[in-house]
Amino acid sequence: MLTCDAYHRPRTLAEALALWADAPEGSRLVSGATDIYPWARDGRAGDVHLPAMIDLSGIGELRGYGFGKGRLHLAAGTVYQDFLTDPVLRQNLPCMPHVAIWFADDQIREVATLAGNLVNASPVADGTPAVVALNGAIELARLEDGEIRRRTVEIEEFIHGPGRTAIRKGEIATQVTLDTCCGYGGAFQKVGQRRSLVISVACCAALVRTDPEGRTFEDVRLALGGVGPGPMRLREAERMLRGERVEPEAILRAAHGAADRVASRSRLDYRREVVVNFVRAALEEALANRPNRAAAHDQSKETMANA
Amino acid sequence: MPDMDLSCTVNGRPVARRVAAHARLLDLLRDDLNLTGTKEGCGAGECGTCSVFVDGKLVKSCLMPAGRAEGAVIETVEGLAGRGPLTPVQKAFHKTGASQCGYCIPGMVMAATACLRQNPEADLDEIKERMGGNICRCTGYTKILEAVEIARDVIAGRADASVLDADETLGESYIGHNVRRIDAPAKVTGRLRYAADMKLVDMLQMQVLRSPHPHARIVRIDTAEAEAMPGVECVITADDVPGKDGFGVFVHDQPVMARGKVRHVGEAVAAVAAEDLVTARRAVAAIKVEYELLPGLYDPEDALKPGAPVIHDYAPDNVVKHIPLRKGDIAAGFAAADVILEHEFGTQQVEHAYLEPEAGIAFVDHDDVVTVHSPSQNITHHRHMLAEILGLPINKVRMVMSPVGGGFGGKEDMIYQGMLAIAAMKTMRPVQLNFTREESLVASAKRHPSRVAYKMGLTSDGRITAVKFEMLSDGGAYGMSSEGVMRKAAILSCGPYEIENLQVDTRAVYTNNTPSGAFRTFGGMQAQFATESMMDMAAERLGLDPFEIRRINMYRAGSLTHTQHRLDRASLDQVLDAAEAASRWETGVPSVRGALRGDLGGPDTRRPCTLGARLAGGPATAAATEAAE
Repeated sequence: MLTCDAYHRPRTLAEALALWADAPEGSRLVSGATDIYPWARDGRAGDVHLPAMIDLSGIGELRGYGFGKGRLHLAAGTVYQDFLTDPVLRQNLPCMPHVAIWFADDQIREVATLAGNLVNASPVADGTPAVVALNGAIELARLEDGEIRRRTVEIEEFIHGPGRTAIRKGEIATQVTLDTCCGYGGAFQKVGQRRSLVISVACCAALVRTDPEGRTFEDVRLALGGVGPGPMRLREAERMLRGERVEPEAILRAAHGAADRVASRSRLDYRREVVVNFVRAALEEALANRPNRAAAHDQSKETMANA
Repeated sequence: MPDMDLSCTVNGRPVARRVAAHARLLDLLRDDLNLTGTKEGCGAGECGTCSVFVDGKLVKSCLMPAGRAEGAVIETVEGLAGRGPLTPVQKAFHKTGASQCGYCIPGMVMAATACLRQNPEADLDEIKERMGGNICRCTGYTKILEAVEIARDVIAGRADASVLDADETLGESYIGHNVRRIDAPAKVTGRLRYAADMKLVDMLQMQVLRSPHPHARIVRIDTAEAEAMPGVECVITADDVPGKDGFGVFVHDQPVMARGKVRHVGEAVAAVAAEDLVTARRAVAAIKVEYELLPGLYDPEDALKPGAPVIHDYAPDNVVKHIPLRKGDIAAGFAAADVILEHEFGTQQVEHAYLEPEAGIAFVDHDDVVTVHSPSQNITHHRHMLAEILGLPINKVRMVMSPVGGGFGGKEDMIYQGMLAIAAMKTMRPVQLNFTREESLVASAKRHPSRVAYKMGLTSDGRITAVKFEMLSDGGAYGMSSEGVMRKAAILSCGPYEIENLQVDTRAVYTNNTPSGAFRTFGGMQAQFATESMMDMAAERLGLDPFEIRRINMYRAGSLTHTQHRLDRASLDQVLDAAEAASRWETGVPSVRGALRGDLGGPDTRRPCTLGARLAGGPATAAATEAAE
């Protein structure tokens, strides 16, 4: 059971930062709050008493998104359901709808935020590999002499390990910045104990852009979750594929190379096997999901069918 | 505790309340507004029974701070129809019989409503996907999904609203017909009150201290600090049991609270009744128990070894029950066999996972009658046992069966009613205990994990000549329904087949695992898994069709059962014929065709669930598809 001495729901970022700066040790920020309640139960943290709970969901500045310098700036209040329902987000972040549909369920997606998923830094977070594949960065704000100061950290540097991030005392995550990948095909692979409402054992996000005929990989983005302490970008596999012809052999080579990166502390053999299949399936699905795929000229489709 | 003031709109009405700072939206709705149609099935966002609309979006209210209600527009299941007629979704749930125990139903109705508000044209795959956050344990979802499709067609104007009220005409018999449940309207509107939804004036909340150890002697229990806490009305232990302690479906081996020692993790050791839940939980945390750890038993095989730790003094061999069945002469039967098959089968522990966690209320009425309301599956027996435990004449004990939000056998055991009754007698105030989901998992009975050593002799033309069947079941720490489960497992051991020579032994033994008890099929499932697997393996070995080998051995009119009962009729032949036709079975030995078989994946076969119904043809790809065409 979660109890607290004070619950705050600031309406501005400045107000939130001031509350957070002054909050007693042990206080918590919440946004979706979908992790903290299940955590404060028997079998996990048990009954937890917080000095203060600061709820960021009422802050207008943390809602919405905008474009700048080829990047998409998602305010920290962006929830998973937005990746399913917002056509602009769907078009520009082609892997995110696939992540979202495998993430929790409709009710939880309405409140669970991408930023919250990142700052919790679970090694099996569904959103993290996709954000890494989208060259994601997170903006952190703090109060300094009464002024709001901001810094931006690449997600790969931001996550240090399970539950550990670069976030400093007094900082609040305000924005997630991602590449716009309009024209890419996106995919997400996930394996867990069951289909619905389940935490990943391992997951893989993929983005693929080809030439208009679908013959050559122009750009490939691959990232894994659940196979090490943090998300893992598969740069070697991406390099191998970039400029390569879209052929099953190339995909398989890349997939086998990826298995060597698995560094989990448990179920190593299982995860290695899963990773090979994931990378292959994610690439195939991302190819199939390309928006500009012209059926009549599609080489990749035929190649896959022959595989 | 610190409070906060909230103003919001709930079901169209302005509401202002002062609630605890830590309250969840679910607490505001249930405790402060008495909107108990919104249920708490898990408190962890898993089950969906607490789903409500907040500013038009369906959320799980167990995961939302109440503070977020400030200024919000909230709609609960009670608000869907209001005082008017049922909504098409509610009517469709009534029509198809989608509500069984009903505990998941308010959440299901909310999820279905959300689905059709989001997409009134949603197809079945999308409906399934959008309702993926809600769990049901009674229906297998079929009738629920059928209801949502009917409601969709009515809402979309594809079907006339009259279909919602139309009933099929009954012939001579109700059997085989969909008959409306009279309790469905109460369930689809959230009006039905389960034990956790009931409130009495001046009611206390109970919480239970549970054992962290599987087997330990209780050296001492110190309740002084807990008892001194303001708001705590009583702390009870085994010492407070006024009568003869002990309950169980067959053997009364379980004390109301651990007496002298604990026998499994999660066993009740002490209980607190306090003015509110938080105080009760803090008082439980303040109880100090000194344990002396004892060697434990975790495998039923170990329980039978000489010198094994003894879990109950009355049963030095750790055997809860042994049921032997004998018929014919198995030595002669095996001697007459052309083929002898031997295999071992294991089945695991299973939790019932009814959506309603255990809950109850007890009070002492004006005539000193101790009254308990709880979703008990066995109230008369509970009443008799409770009278003994309380040391009261039977007319001073009353058990009322509150609506059961799923039981499946798991609510046959009186694992908390005794504590409630004792606390009510000590405080002379009503007391309520609502289990958390975690508590329900650790304290309630499970399906028996079983091992079966099976030996079957057959002639080469498929006739069974003898069976030797030995089942060892893990009964866990207490007897509960083990005796009956072993009896049923023995009776059903060799299936619906006439076997002239058999030797069946089913045994349940005590271990320090979570107690095993009643669960749908009551021992039949574990036995049938072994027997039917043996039948398929025998068919494979003898080159017979699996239907054929069953027909050769099946009970017929005049057959003598395993328990020497002469049957005057039998219907297995009709069942096999119907199953063979319905499955489009291709006759032959089960192993020879593999992937080539043509009777798999037919039109009425349910495909595996997949996700992404909303992604195909969505906005991102629709334009591209159009361009491509």
